[in-house]
Formats: sequence, C-alpha cells, structure tokens
Amino acid sequence: MKQYNNLYKTAALGIGLALSIGILPSCNKGFLDVPEQGKQQSTVFWKTADDATAGVNAIYGNLRSWENTAFPAIAIESIGSDDADKGSTASDASFFLQFDQFTIDPDQGNISGFWNGQYRNINYTNQVLDNVPGITMDENLKARYLAEAKFVRAFSYFRLVRAFGGVPLRLHVPKDANTDYNLPRASVAEVYAQIEKDLNEAAAVLPPSYTATTDIGRVTKGAALTLHAKVAMYLKKWTDVMTYTNTVMGMGYSLLPNYEKVFRIENENSVESIFEIQCALLPNNKDASNSQYSQVQGVRGVTGGGWGFNVPSANLAAAYETGDPRRDATIIFRGETTPSGDVISATGDNPMYNQKSYVPFSLFVSGFNEGAQQNVRMLRYSDVLLMNAEAANELNNSGQAISSLEQVRLRARQGNTAILPKVTTTDQNEMRKAIYRERRVEFAMEFDRYFDVIRQGRGTEVFGPKGWKAGRNEVWPIPQTEIDLSGGVLTQNPGF
Amino acid sequence: MKRFFTKLSVLSTLCLFFTNAAFSQDITVKGTVTDGLDKTTVPSVSVTVKGTTKGVQTDVNGNYSINTSANSTLVFTYIGYVTQEVLINGQQTINVVLTPSSQQLEQVVVVGYGTQRKLDVTGAVASLKGSEISKQASTNPIGALQGKIAGVSITSTGTPGASPQIRIRGLGTIFGNQAPLYVVDGVWYNDINFLNPNDIENMSILKDASAQSIYGIRAANGVVLITTKKGKLGTPTTINYDAYAGFQKVTNKVKMANAQEYGIFTNELAGLNGGTPVFSNTDNLGVGTDWYDQTLRNAFVTNHNVSIAGGTDKSTYNISLGYLDQDGIIKTNNYKRYTARVSNDIQLSKSFKVGYNITGVSSKSKDVPTTIYHQIYSASPSIPVFNADGSYGDPTSQGLGDGANFNPQASLDFFNQQTKQYRVTGNVFAELKFAEHFTFKSSFGGEFGQLENRKYGPKYYATYAQKSDVSILDLKRVETRNWIIENTLTYENTFNKDHNITVLLGQSAQSNKAYTLNASAQNVPFTSDADLYLNLGDAATRTAADEGSLIKFASYFARANYSFKNKYLLNASIRTDGASQFFGSNETWGYFPSVGAGWVITNEDFMKNQTVFSSLKLRGSWGIIGNANVPINPSQQLVGQTGNLVAIFNNIPFTGKSVNTLIPPAIVWEKGIGTNIGFEAAFLTNRLTVEADFYNRKTSRAIFKIPVLGSLGTVDNQLLGNQADIQNRGVELSAAWTNTTEGGLTYSVGGNISYNANKVINVLSGEIPIFSGSTGITNGAFATRTIVGDPIGLFYGYKVAGIFQNATDVANSPTQASAAPGGFKYQDLNGDGKITSADRTVIGDPNPKYTYGVNTNFAYKNFDLALDFQGVAGVDIYNANLANRFGNENISKDLFDNRWHGEGTSNTYPSANIGASANAAPNSFYVSSGSYFRVRNAQLGYTLPSGILNKWKIKKVRIYANAQNAINIFGYKGFSPEVGPIPTDNAEKIKADRPNTALNAGLDANVYPLFATYNFGINLTF
Repeated sequence: MKQYNNLYKTAALGIGLALSIGILPSCNKGFLDVPEQGKQQSTVFWKTADDATAGVNAIYGNLRSWENTAFPAIAIESIGSDDADKGSTASDASFFLQFDQFTIDPDQGNISGFWNGQYRNINYTNQVLDNVPGITMDENLKARYLAEAKFVRAFSYFRLVRAFGGVPLRLHVPKDANTDYNLPRASVAEVYAQIEKDLNEAAAVLPPSYTATTDIGRVTKGAALTLHAKVAMYLKKWTDVMTYTNTVMGMGYSLLPNYEKVFRIENENSVESIFEIQCALLPNNKDASNSQYSQVQGVRGVTGGGWGFNVPSANLAAAYETGDPRRDATIIFRGETTPSGDVISATGDNPMYNQKSYVPFSLFVSGFNEGAQQNVRMLRYSDVLLMNAEAANELNNSGQAISSLEQVRLRARQGNTAILPKVTTTDQNEMRKAIYRERRVEFAMEFDRYFDVIRQGRGTEVFGPKGWKAGRNEVWPIPQTEIDLSGGVLTQNPGF
Repeated sequence: MKRFFTKLSVLSTLCLFFTNAAFSQDITVKGTVTDGLDKTTVPSVSVTVKGTTKGVQTDVNGNYSINTSANSTLVFTYIGYVTQEVLINGQQTINVVLTPSSQQLEQVVVVGYGTQRKLDVTGAVASLKGSEISKQASTNPIGALQGKIAGVSITSTGTPGASPQIRIRGLGTIFGNQAPLYVVDGVWYNDINFLNPNDIENMSILKDASAQSIYGIRAANGVVLITTKKGKLGTPTTINYDAYAGFQKVTNKVKMANAQEYGIFTNELAGLNGGTPVFSNTDNLGVGTDWYDQTLRNAFVTNHNVSIAGGTDKSTYNISLGYLDQDGIIKTNNYKRYTARVSNDIQLSKSFKVGYNITGVSSKSKDVPTTIYHQIYSASPSIPVFNADGSYGDPTSQGLGDGANFNPQASLDFFNQQTKQYRVTGNVFAELKFAEHFTFKSSFGGEFGQLENRKYGPKYYATYAQKSDVSILDLKRVETRNWIIENTLTYENTFNKDHNITVLLGQSAQSNKAYTLNASAQNVPFTSDADLYLNLGDAATRTAADEGSLIKFASYFARANYSFKNKYLLNASIRTDGASQFFGSNETWGYFPSVGAGWVITNEDFMKNQTVFSSLKLRGSWGIIGNANVPINPSQQLVGQTGNLVAIFNNIPFTGKSVNTLIPPAIVWEKGIGTNIGFEAAFLTNRLTVEADFYNRKTSRAIFKIPVLGSLGTVDNQLLGNQADIQNRGVELSAAWTNTTEGGLTYSVGGNISYNANKVINVLSGEIPIFSGSTGITNGAFATRTIVGDPIGLFYGYKVAGIFQNATDVANSPTQASAAPGGFKYQDLNGDGKITSADRTVIGDPNPKYTYGVNTNFAYKNFDLALDFQGVAGVDIYNANLANRFGNENISKDLFDNRWHGEGTSNTYPSANIGASANAAPNSFYVSSGSYFRVRNAQLGYTLPSGILNKWKIKKVRIYANAQNAINIFGYKGFSPEVGPIPTDNAEKIKADRPNTALNAGLDANVYPLFATYNFGINLTF
C-alpha cells in the first residue's frame, strides 16, 4: 500500500510539474503575444499601391452614405426650398417641417447628421492626402489619387460652408487630442480659399476622362473645373466662372437629346454627366448596395415601395413655362403612367413625387433598398452652360449669355418650336431673371435650388413666405451636440 | 476548508473514542435530529453531554444513540444551526428539531481558491445555499439572488434562456461586459445560463475588493463563486426528483389607446402638422385590435431534474439530468434546455484525490423577431389582424405612416429562426497532500461551445411593408473554445496552538477563443428543413463573412491568512495578471494586492462572561482589482474594411479600406480600489444576527467610450479611453432572526438594505463634460451629462414650465424654437428671454440609491411558507418611449387621456405632436421616479408525513406552489421600472456588449412587459 502511495505521489507530482512547466512559458512573452484576429492594424496599412487604391475607393464608397444622399441631405439642401415639400404622411418624420418652415432648433438630429457625414468624407480624403504621398508607387497614379481626394474634400467643404458658414477647417488626420482635435470655426473666406486651392490642384492633375471601364465614375478634370466654377459663382467671381466653364465647354461634353432619359439607369455616366455618386445593387453585397437616395424619395404606395419624402411642391409645378417637358420629366403625378411604364396609383398619399430619383419598379430587388442602383447626379453639363450664361451676363457679354442659355432650352424643347422660346433679351436684369428661372426648372429636385436662391440674395423674396429670415437663415445652426462636445470652442450661428 | 475538515475529523475521532468508552451505569438515549425548516434529517450533528467531553455524531439518517446519566443535558450543535440543549430527565427517546441559523461564525464560506470559516473572513462575502436557489423555481440561478443579498441587484430581461443582469455594489465598470466573473468549480465563465439551478450546492458573492482581488484582472464587476453538488463519502445512494410546472403571465402592462382613441390622436397629430385627418370618421373605429392580446399568452414552463448522489468510502459521485421547456410570452417563442452533469471524486489514497465535473448542455430556441415587442407597442389598433378576405390587415390601406407600418401578426407568421446551443464544460483535478501541511492541487478546465443560428425568410406578401420577392437563408455558427489551467500549493499549520497560518501560492493560464461564421443565400426552396442548405440557393447571391477573437491571460497569485487564538485575523494577497489585450503596452501586467484584518471580540477573555453577544467581530479590508473587459489591444488602431466603403465603378465593386477611427490613447489598466469596514454580530444564542458593511470603492481611470466631435470624421463618433475616476460609497445592513416557538413554529425573518452613492471625482477629458444618451429616441440630442462632482450619467435637459395654451401664451413666453400651442414651455433658467441650450440643467439621476429585500421562512408541522419582498428607491427613469415617434405609432392610454387637445385641457401633457423635435428634446416631463416594491417570491409547501412515505420507501415528498413577481408596485408609467439591458435574440447574445451603458443608464427604450411566474412543484427523495 505504501508503495502505491508513493507511486501516486510521484505520479501527482509528475503531473503537477508537467502542468507547471507547460505553463511556465506563460511568463514569457510568447504566450501573451496574440495577434489581432481577422483585423488589419493601421500600422501595417498605407504601405503599398494597393493600400492607396483601397483608401481612395473608400472615399467613393462613403459618398453613398445616408448622410450624403438621404435624410440629412434632404433636410439641409432641399426641403427648405420652394421646390420641395416634406412629403409622406403628415405625421411621418414631421421634423422635416422644422427645415421647411425654418423653426429649426440646433438639437435636430439631421443637422449633426449632415455635419458628421461631410466630416467623414473629409476624414477619408485626409487619410489619403496624409498617407499616400509616402507610399512608393507609380507617381502618376499617386498624383491622380491625391487629386481625386482633393476634389472630394473640396466638394464636402463646399457643402459645409453653404450649410453652416465658417466651419472647422480640418486638413489633416487628427493626431493629438491636445492640439488638433477641438478646432475652432474658420472664417467663410478661409474655407472658400481652401476649397479653391484643392480644386485648382485637382484640376491640374485629373484626366479629362478615363479609358479603363473599371475607372468609370472617378472624378475628372471636368468635374473639378465645374465644381470650381460653381464655387466661384457662389463667390461672384464671374471672370473665374467664365474661365472654368469655357474650358469645360471645350472638353467634349454635350446634352443628351431627351431630358427625362438623363435620369435613367441606362444613362448613368453619360456624355452629359460631369460628376455622379456611384451606386449599385449587388445581389451578393448588401452592405455595398446601401444607397437610400432613391428609396426615401420614392413613390409611396403598394407598388412604389418608397418613403415619399422630399416631394415636388405645387409652387414648383406652377413654375414651368407652358408645355415645358421638364415638368413631366421632373414630377411624377399621382395617377400617371411613367415613361418607364409604371402606373402610379391615383389615390396615393402625395400628389407628386421626385421623378429624377425614380427607378422603375421592375428593377427593385426584394431585401434591398428600392432603387439602390440609382447614381446621384451631382454635376451636369447643363449646369456648366447656365453658369457660363450667368457669368457672361454679369460680365455684360449678353451674346454668350443668350447662346449658352439657349443650348439648355433647345434640348429642353426637344424640337417642339411651340414651347420654350429662345430668350433673346440683352437687358442684364431680364437675362439674370431668365437664367435664375432656367436654373430652377433645369435643376429642380437636384438639391440645387435652396442654396442657389440664397447666393442670389433672394432668400427673403423667395422663401420669406415660408418663414425664412434674412440675417438668420442664410445658414443652418451648428449642431448643438458639436457645441456641447467642443466645450464652447464652437460658437452658434446668430439667431439660434 | 482544510482547517474545517481537520477539525471535523478530529472531532469524529474523539466521538468514536467516547462512544466506545461508554459507562455501563448510564441509560441509552436515542433519537433523530431534523431540520426545522425543510424537515430533512441532519447527519453529522454533534451530540455532546454538557460539561463533559463525551459525545457522538448523528448518522446519515440523522439518528444518534448515546449512553449517559439520566439527569444530564445533551447539547446538539451543527454548523449553520442554532445550538440546542435538552435536559434528558430520564427520557430514552429525544427527537430534536434544529433551527437553522442565518449565519454563524463557524459556518464555512467559499472564498477565492478555497474555503474559510466565516470567522476567518476579513472581507465582505455573502453566501447562499443551493436549497435557497433551487427553491425559487427560477430557470436561471442568478434570478434567485434577487433581494436576497445586500448590495446585489438583479434585473430580469424576460427572454427565455437569457441571464438577468446582475450588479454587485453598483456599477463596477462601464465598458463592455458588465457581468461579474462566475467561477464554477474553478472554471471561469462570463455567463452561467448553462447551469441548472438544482446542481448548485453553494453560491458565494465576493463583494469587496479585498475578497475579489485574488481574481485580479477579472474581478472588477464582482465575483460569484459556485460550487456544484457532490456526493458524500460513505453515504448510500440518494435519488432526488424535483419538478415544477407553471406559467408566466404578463403583469403591469401599459394600457394602450384603443382604435377610436388612436384615430382621434392620429387626426390631431395630422392637423398639428398641417395635414388633413387620416380617419374621416373616428366614431366607427371602435375598440379595434389589442395587439398584446393577439400576440401574448400565458406561457407554459416545466422543469424536471433527477439527481443521483452518493459515495463509498473511497469515492463520491453525483449525476444529474435536467429538462426545461419554457414558452415565451410571445406566442411562437419557445426555449428547451437539456442539461447533464456528472461529478466524481476518487480518493486514490489517503493523500491523493482525483476528480472531475462535466456539464453538457443542449438548448434549442424558436426565436421571435427582436422588433416584435416594439411592434406590438407601436402597431395601430385600427388595423384588423386579418381582413374579411383572410389577407393581413395593412396599415398602408389606412394611410398610416412608417412609424406603424406593420402588422405584428405577419411579422411573427413569416419569421422562421431557430438557435441551437451546445456546450460541454467542466474540469479535471488532482489533489495531493504531502509533508503533513502541504496540499498541491492542479486543475484543468475547459469549455467547448457551439451556437447554430438559422433564419429563413420566405418569399411572401403580407402587407405593403412586409413582403419579399425572394427567400433568404441566413446561417450563423459561433464556436467557443476556452481552457484554463490552475495550480495551487497550500501550506497550513498551527504553531504553539494559537498561531494558525495558511499560505496559498498559485499560478493560472487561460485562453478564450471565439469564432463566428455568417453565410447567406437567396432563393433557397423550402419544403422541409432538409432544404435549408446554402447550396440550394442562387450562386450569385451567396455571401460569407467571419470574425474571431482570441484572448489569453497568465497569472500568479499568493495569499497568506494568519489568525491568533481565533481572535486576531490577518489576510494578505497579491495577484498579477498578464493580458494579451495589453500586450505591447507598458502595462501588459497588472498587480492587484489586498490586505484585511479582523478582531473576533467575543473570543477575548473579557467577553467570556457576557451573554449579550453570541459572537461579535470587526473587520476591515483594502484591495485593488482590475478590468479585462476591454477590446483586444485597445491601444491599437484598426483598418476599416466594411461594405459601405466599397467603391462602385461602372457597376463593379472594388474593395475600399481606410482608417476611420482616432488613434486610441495609450490605454492603461482600469483599476478598482476598495476599502471595506464591517462588523458581524450574533445575539441570543445566534438567533439574531446582524451584519453591516461600509465601503468606498474608486474606479480609477475607468475605460469607456465617449462621444467625440463629429468634425473628427470618425465612423462612430466615439473614442475608447481611460475617461474618468468614479467613486461608489455605500452602506449595507442585513439582519436575520430565527426561532422555534414552543408551539413548533420555526421561522426566520431576514432583511437587508443597501445605500450606494455614486460620484464622478475626475474626468480625464478635463473641463469638458461627457455628454451621452444621444440616440434616435431623443432625436439625436444628448440626454445625459457626466461632470466632476455629480453622479455618472445624470439626465440633462430642459425643465418644463407648462404647456403653451395658445398663441398669446407663446408670444408672452421666452422665445423658443418651434413653440406652438400644445408644446412644452421650457423654463428660461438664465433669464435671457429665450430658450437656448444654456437653459438645460440636471433633470434626474439614474443611479439607484437604496435597494432592499425582506426574506421570510415559516415552517409549522408539515407546512412551510416563504415570502420574499424586494425593492429599489431613490432612482429616476427617463421614459424614452413617449417621444420615440416617427409617425403614427400607437400611444398609451395615459398619454391619450391626459394630452393637451385645446386650450385649458392640460398644462402637463403635450399635444399629439409629442414627437416633434422641440417636444422630444430631453426634458423633465420624461423623467419620473423608478422606485418600486415587489413581492418577489411566495412559496407554500407541504411535506407528506413520514409514516406514509416509509410504506412507499420514499424518504421525502414535498409539494409546493410558488408565485414569483406576482405583485409589483410602482408609479412609473412605462413597462417596468427595472431598466435593464435591451435584450437581443439568442443569435445576437454573443454581441450583447452595449457600450456606454453607464452613460445611458436609465434611458428606458424597453417595451418588454413584466411578467409573473406561477408554479406548482414537487420534491421527491428516494
């Protein structure tokens, strides 16, 4: 027995020792050095050309986001205008009324949503701009990638400065909580100066077009020049507008013959397109099929599948000249049959819906956002023409103003000489009015009108009846959440 | 534990000696000792003759026999019972009923890596017997703790199979999993929902830092030590069968508006928003559909357990099988769980023991959509379940907006999801005693788990918003692979009779691995489950994604306990943990020391002659604990590679990757530093016990996520870091009284109350307050603010002065955005004539101040009765459901009845436009008291007389009826004043970590009804 006891003891000690020894490595570093499971660390990123490509791709991918294309964009850039009403049913998402009626308070979530969404764009561009220069790769490609990032950064700051006035100017990836996290607001002039700098640098590098089909949808030189023209127009730098638009007018863009077809899937990235946010519906990639641009504005009702927000107003419907085909191309009327053949219920919730974001119902796929494949037309060639016309008019070149304006009206009338007569006035004021009206009907429901009227200085005249007040409503309030988090470094806009 | 066993074996040896040396002139006294409360016989009771050293022990059936003089006095003592003296006075049969004492210093409590006599413990440790747990007829052992122990609060989630939330002395940590560490027979777990409550022998809750610190890194939220039942050496086989059946019934439901009321409200809302009435005639809407009646039921639950336990002189065994079948209160919800457990200890020699515990669990749940509770809360009562033609009632047909655009019945009918979980877990151990004073123990434990979730969404059309043209099959597999090795060496000795010393040295290593695989395909046919394979779906639609985690810990620990003459106690311990999460930082290893001291005053000579105190002990302790519930290497920045970053060029997807988080600050260990001072006293021969604790715990450099500036451009506007120092101070008081009256009534009454005060003592972000609580429910506005000097996460917003009655009222009040009749009129706190963000202030405190419980047991003859009460006071709740409106959601009857609907109709409740931004802004209207009082448990039992049972060869039969949560009293107008975590369905449990819960505590977005449980059960012992 004693013998067995000893045996057991020895065995136990043996097991114990074995376990202990087996675990002793636990005190050396190997045991605790557990690599990240299935996640890449930022320290091994931004090393190769592939990383640069992926980083630039992320900039484009993020442009589809809810904040860039759906509710926050509608709230900030569309609903305040006289073109659009809230839509849907009266009680559905009634916060849009605060934007429609200018009773907004700084706590409203779509204000911070828009703000955050634009700064996310900016972070993705800053990531590329800070990190890609250090990567060893094809220098031409590198320069193009940087130019693409600069375009998107300028685009986002332009949307911010229109919406809020001066905003924190973040031009690098934030690195230090003590110095560059909590930035104060830059002035409006400073923000515009940076936008122009980025656009100049982008235009100098970007190609006029891409040969590889796998590059279709990337920003081009034409896009940078067009956006710059628009920025210059907001700054009333009419000579610059002329210069940039004249250049673009020599780059081979043209208007599609049929206005309605401009907004259909088959004409994405067409010869008229200057910049579109690229969207797709990929059956095996729901996360990448995330655009809700079309869905939130889509036809409500059993067949439409949309939410029916941001609908054309009666005011817009009445704004067209008699017989203008753009009215029918812009507005889906309750009870109509669309050119694509969809029958719109005569008893739907809303009398009108946005036809420019409309995707034929046959293209819907169950389980995916309705119309997720619709690209968002951000800049079109007709904008170049109308900016050219306006700049020419402001610079007293009525000949070119008449000519550029006529190109837009010519396409709109589609050969029907009975409608949309050529504008021939040489009176600068009359021409200005004509161009303003043309911009409204040409770009209706394209998120242009609201800030267009404000930069024209006609806010009180046009939006006054809706509650818009000069000295207050030129910009929206800075998000209260952002002011709270800044500990008072950010200041609120006057009147909020 | 060793000390206790040593003592016990010495005692039994002595007993044997005295039995053999009995004197012949004495009489023989025989009898049986039984437990006053549960009427079982009590083995191993020491029966001594007063004033002598003569004594015997009761056998396994509680019988004793002793020879002694006819006029002497017998003393019956046993741990956990009130000592009883009986004068023999010539009687030859003396049956004794012992009264269980609630606490005695001789009682053995389980502490980290061992056991101690209650006497020797210098920290705050509470324990609960297995019988108290199984008695509650809870499906989860944690639920049984509610109201039982001072400083421990439990919040139920109500989802079958889900564990309740448990908080020990308030909130320990803020980030990540806030559950305590569970140590079951030496193996570490985050959750014990796999454990059958009937298998538990004892549960110890380590409440203070000194007791917890031996578990170092994982102790930040407290530690619950569980020992499972084992057989006893040398006892015949005992078979227990315990079963109950009953049902769960919804209680304290929020009364919702009926169809007509809903119609009126909806029309008012449309009118206030400038629209036309939705319903042309509300008079004919009638009562409409009650979606709660339609989808809820009295849910059946049944539970069966069989256990077989016993032991030879060399080995013990315990085998148990359990079966639980629990319906959810939603009609299609069901959870079934099978558990099997085997434990076996083999004494290979006098000094060498090996053993194992193995638990196998298999569960299957038929799930319901996570959104269903919110749907039945929001669904329009004006919609029929089915139309006359059999089609589903469709909200779109009545022009109702998106907020209520669903038919909950259709949501249930077309939801097909099941979750299966398999788990094998346990440990093997070897224990060797050598060189007289040393014990070496080695244990290897592990867990092998698999979760299988399958969801099939059919091709269907129910309503406008509930339809699909394709079918989708989603599969999910979660594998868990954990192991833990622990080696301990214990030295125990007594020097010069008076100096007791125990030294523990230990080492531990563990690894926790999880892997999740998700896959899906569209257009999978479905004629039977055999079709549900991804292979049968469209190839172009197949997706797969996975993720994993691996965490390792290495630890070393040591502890020394010293006591002098059982009067002066000293404990000290140190543990160091290395964690892979922190590998590469300056602080891969954390150090967690503790010290404790105690003074057993009643063992002093000067207390010998006093009769007031049966025992009195003072104790004090200090310790440091850590928190490992942080992401793997939180100081490292990761690359974002999500689907939304995929670029589309010419309709072709291209992978997008970037960095969309901030560089994390160098995160250092979050530590809890706690001191505890307490006393334990017993009076009147241990009939009355009182225990009090005062504690102060500082959570230093607490790790959690805080919202950061949107202009930083991060993906989630959050940053993880060491953010604040938080202090919890409190008092816990518990008292218990047990007695047996002359009439034979044995009863015990226990009460506990605890007070906790929470304060932020430092915010590392400096002057800038931490704002949080921004969610859809507040329209994006921050609802809580955390600043130095305040409790954490105070509700923050406007104070409501009243309701705007008319345009004049608006015009005469301070300027306020979107001010309109029927809207909230906010107080202009800074008096500048306009309502701005500067007028926000603290409007409530979500941190509970008082929790209390009263527990009673009564036994008279064959009847027993237990009544438990429990409550919370001094806490606020923010009812975030009221303004959480996107359109035409249904409303509570309370809101309908009291709403403003014209001048003079209300100066407290707003109009139907309550969801408008200006009204939904965080304000005092939404804050109310969350105090409640509850009859937690009531149980009446009857034990069949033993005479009948002997004929049937059954040792014991007890039947009982039990009611849990039957009565709940509270003023809060939401569903439940216990604002728990938002439960997710079984598939999502793995991701149940909800960040920032402390910053968002008390924001009630739950719409889960409370329910009461009624059971009838039987306990059989063969």
